[in-house]
Amino acid sequence: MKTLLVIKKQEYEWLIDLFPGVHPLLVPICNKPFIEFLVDFAILAGSNALRIVSDGVLEDVEHYCENGSRWGVEISYGSMRPADDTHTVIEKNRRFCLEERVIIISGFLFIRYNKKSEYASLFASLPSGELLSCPNGSISLTGTSTTKTGTPGTLPFSLAALDSIGKYYELSMEILSTGLTHYVIPGYSSEENCYIGRNVVIPKSAEIIKPVIIGNNVQIMTNSIIDKNSVIGSNVIIDRESVISGSIVIDNTYIGEHLEVKNKIAAGNLLIDPQSGTSIVMEDPHLLTTMTQSRVAGALLRRIVHAVGATFLIVLQLLPWLLLRPILGMQGKWKRKREQHYTGLPGKNVTLTNTTIEGTGAASAFAKALSLDRFTLLFNVLIGKLALIGNLPLPVTPAIRRLPNSHEGYRPAVFSYAEAEEWPEIGIDAEIVEHYYAVHSDPLKDIAMTQKALFHRTH
Amino acid sequence: MIFHLDTSTTLPLGVVLLKKRVDATNSIELQKAFAQWLQQTNNFVFDCTELDFIDSSGLGAIVSCLRKALEHHGDVKLAALGPKVAMVFELTKAKKLFSIFSECSEAIQSFVTVSTT
Repeated sequence: MKTLLVIKKQEYEWLIDLFPGVHPLLVPICNKPFIEFLVDFAILAGSNALRIVSDGVLEDVEHYCENGSRWGVEISYGSMRPADDTHTVIEKNRRFCLEERVIIISGFLFIRYNKKSEYASLFASLPSGELLSCPNGSISLTGTSTTKTGTPGTLPFSLAALDSIGKYYELSMEILSTGLTHYVIPGYSSEENCYIGRNVVIPKSAEIIKPVIIGNNVQIMTNSIIDKNSVIGSNVIIDRESVISGSIVIDNTYIGEHLEVKNKIAAGNLLIDPQSGTSIVMEDPHLLTTMTQSRVAGALLRRIVHAVGATFLIVLQLLPWLLLRPILGMQGKWKRKREQHYTGLPGKNVTLTNTTIEGTGAASAFAKALSLDRFTLLFNVLIGKLALIGNLPLPVTPAIRRLPNSHEGYRPAVFSYAEAEEWPEIGIDAEIVEHYYAVHSDPLKDIAMTQKALFHRTH
Repeated sequence: MIFHLDTSTTLPLGVVLLKKRVDATNSIELQKAFAQWLQQTNNFVFDCTELDFIDSSGLGAIVSCLRKALEHHGDVKLAALGPKVAMVFELTKAKKLFSIFSECSEAIQSFVTVSTT
């Protein structure tokens, strides 16, 4: 027995915007990629080979499933034209379909099955032709039965169309509440209706109410509640005192503190109401707004104020810099590195010379106290390449090829708001503080913040 | 956005029509305006019919308005929340703080009912 999966792009492309970065065939249903349910079913039905045919790009699916050795089945991939019907696809895959009976699963649909049922002998005995259909597709069988032909009465599987976010949610909830034992669900299950993955941190004050599925690398913070009918994906953080109830939290999602996610789907920074299809963007853990560009007049005033501040600092630091720079240079304590940094404008970068003062001698300590390592950067403020205070300039690296979305409102500067507030200079904490001041600061506040940054760098 | 208080309902309350966005750019403006409105009345209906977006700053401003109104023995009631705005109120549990009505007229009527009982 073999299985041929025929799935057209137009049937699943509605999922692309909802779960960006995840191929629709790999979208998790109860933490298990959709395609794996089909693979499991094909294996239960006695298939030793599976061919996935689509008019869409299958690269991610191919990368995930590879040749199927993980499941002990041979998986291959094929392409088709959008206009091809199932008959044409079978013709184009004649070699695959020739020798054995083939189960043809056509359409983006979910097959409800029970892993405890005996499907291999059933499919071997069923006559060829369409077995089941739904508005989204069908299951049919080719070839002649190898055993005594049975009559397709009530089949021990059914189809569910997957054509909207509401259906996706309903299906997940259906599996969670009634069908967990019907499928192979990832995670460790020491008790019924509770599956928990690896590296899950659950504090004593958190509450977990069954049925629930939790993926790998999940942190549930203090006093949080994971209420019944919740699916928490992998690499998820549920911050303190938040409640997740009847909801699906997709992989790589952060739920901020004191939030209540009830009957929703959280995917990345998107929160979707499956009933209405309405979605909101959680811009950051504090739901801060998307940055809006400040008015030209305001930006000009800020630039002038920053330039005046930079000039003042240049005058102040010039003499110490002229004295200490050669001394530290000769001692090998003055290290310089030229690097490309993002400017915040698409496709435009700036080359900056970052200085590090090493050692613990008197000259080093004095130079650090005066922030002489930033002296040369101040000239970039005068020509408008940097702000006096803003974000720590983000270097261009092969790992970060473009400015991440989280850096919206990014303004590279000599000093950072995080330095002024004595927050960690890198990481999400710094992003939050810099994001906050990007909205709430004004030119005069910037001068005050620069003074704070200078003071805190000294101490 | 410039915030206006409409006191033409002949009732001792003000209706504020929130338009488009209440976010970090105008939340302080709303709070300042509200402090002045409190000199005229202490009961308010925030009509959200035309409100498309609210962020944490805007939410904070509206909660701050409620707190100030309560301090003056009044109330702030919300009306006609759009689906996206309602989701923010639900997500942040702020909906538990407010009386929320589907229509502005219902919110106004609720003040009448309270004052007559």
